Amino acid sequence: MEWGRLMSGTVLCLLISRIFLVIYRFSLRSERPLRRDTDTCSLAIFLGSGGHTAEASILLSALDFSRYCPRTYIFSEGDELSSRRVVALENAQSAKNTPLIGWSNYKLMRIPRARYVHQSSLSASFTTFKCFLACVHLITIAPLFHNVTLGKPFVDLLIMNGPGTCVPLCAAIMINRIIGLPTPKMVFVESFARVQSISQSGKLLLYIVDRFIVQWPEQIALTGDRGEYHGWLV
Amino acid sequence: MLVFVTVGSTRFDALVQAAVSEQVLDALHKKGYKRIVIQRGNSDFRREAGSNGEDLVVFEKNGLEVETWKFKSSVQSEVERADLVVSHAGAGTILDALRQGKPMIVVPNPTLLDDHQGELSSRLEALGYLTASTVDNLAATISAFDPSRLIPFPPFDGSRFRRLIDQEMGYNVNPS
Repeated sequence: MEWGRLMSGTVLCLLISRIFLVIYRFSLRSERPLRRDTDTCSLAIFLGSGGHTAEASILLSALDFSRYCPRTYIFSEGDELSSRRVVALENAQSAKNTPLIGWSNYKLMRIPRARYVHQSSLSASFTTFKCFLACVHLITIAPLFHNVTLGKPFVDLLIMNGPGTCVPLCAAIMINRIIGLPTPKMVFVESFARVQSISQSGKLLLYIVDRFIVQWPEQIALTGDRGEYHGWLV
Repeated sequence: MLVFVTVGSTRFDALVQAAVSEQVLDALHKKGYKRIVIQRGNSDFRREAGSNGEDLVVFEKNGLEVETWKFKSSVQSEVERADLVVSHAGAGTILDALRQGKPMIVVPNPTLLDDHQGELSSRLEALGYLTASTVDNLAATISAFDPSRLIPFPPFDGSRFRRLIDQEMGYNVNPS
């Protein structure tokens, strides 16, 4: 009897969550609050290893740093190359412009790696879970204590370009959406290196992110009706 | 003339070994190259004599001065000074070198996951921006290489991404 109640209770919860999710997503789609030119917008960008960070840096350099601030750079523990690259990018941007509020307004945030190169699937599931927990802390728990108004997500916009560790991050954001907590807009830019195929993380995140951008026209067909092509972004 | 060989943040033993091989150095020498600098990343590199696994190794071979090291915080100046860049097919390296107007020979690393490096190098070669090669073919590619036939790579246009993000975040993107 106990199990019966537990099962039906679980199914009911899942159903309610599902309905809530669908409604919430629908309302989110049409919601695009207008910003004034002088409003700022906080962003986080996820940096993966090597090439991903190089492309992410290029993407970010396209943005107005006085508008998009504060900036949070999220990367995996042990990825020192990325952290150096970030500092170099920020220094280059502020050297280019008269320092204003918004310039050099950034922070670095490390999360545990979801998986290591050549890691076995079994141990990868453990590290991925550990990474997921860290993401939940970052996205769900920490903002509850840090933000004065409960209505703000940890950042307004999250930009990703494909490394594996961004999947647990998005999973944590989806939890927020199911619960009904505020979440950032998620923009996924498939790597310039992906010409004829979509990356693993791209496939997983295709129906979760708000905008899915590809950089080669051949890829549009692979993304159903979700992908957009605007030419090379890097 | 200087040739810069790079594997970025990866490991690409075969390319590094090929870069110091007789055939490749000979092909380079015949083309007038005097120096070769190899950024070898995590690649395995064994020299016949005096190799203790140190970072910087310098020697002469087939008429070229060879210099190799693992990493530098920025290879900007190496790319700038190079007359030819031979690199793994990483997007970051390719964008960097092509935007600096450098003739490029790109060698996809077949040991990497699902060969997506191959996709990019083939496509960019088909568009005329660079020449692709396999490790085994490198010497022949160098001998036949003609940089004047390459098409200049378009400069970075940040306005597309800026517009996209501004629009998504609710900023007014229409010209006033």
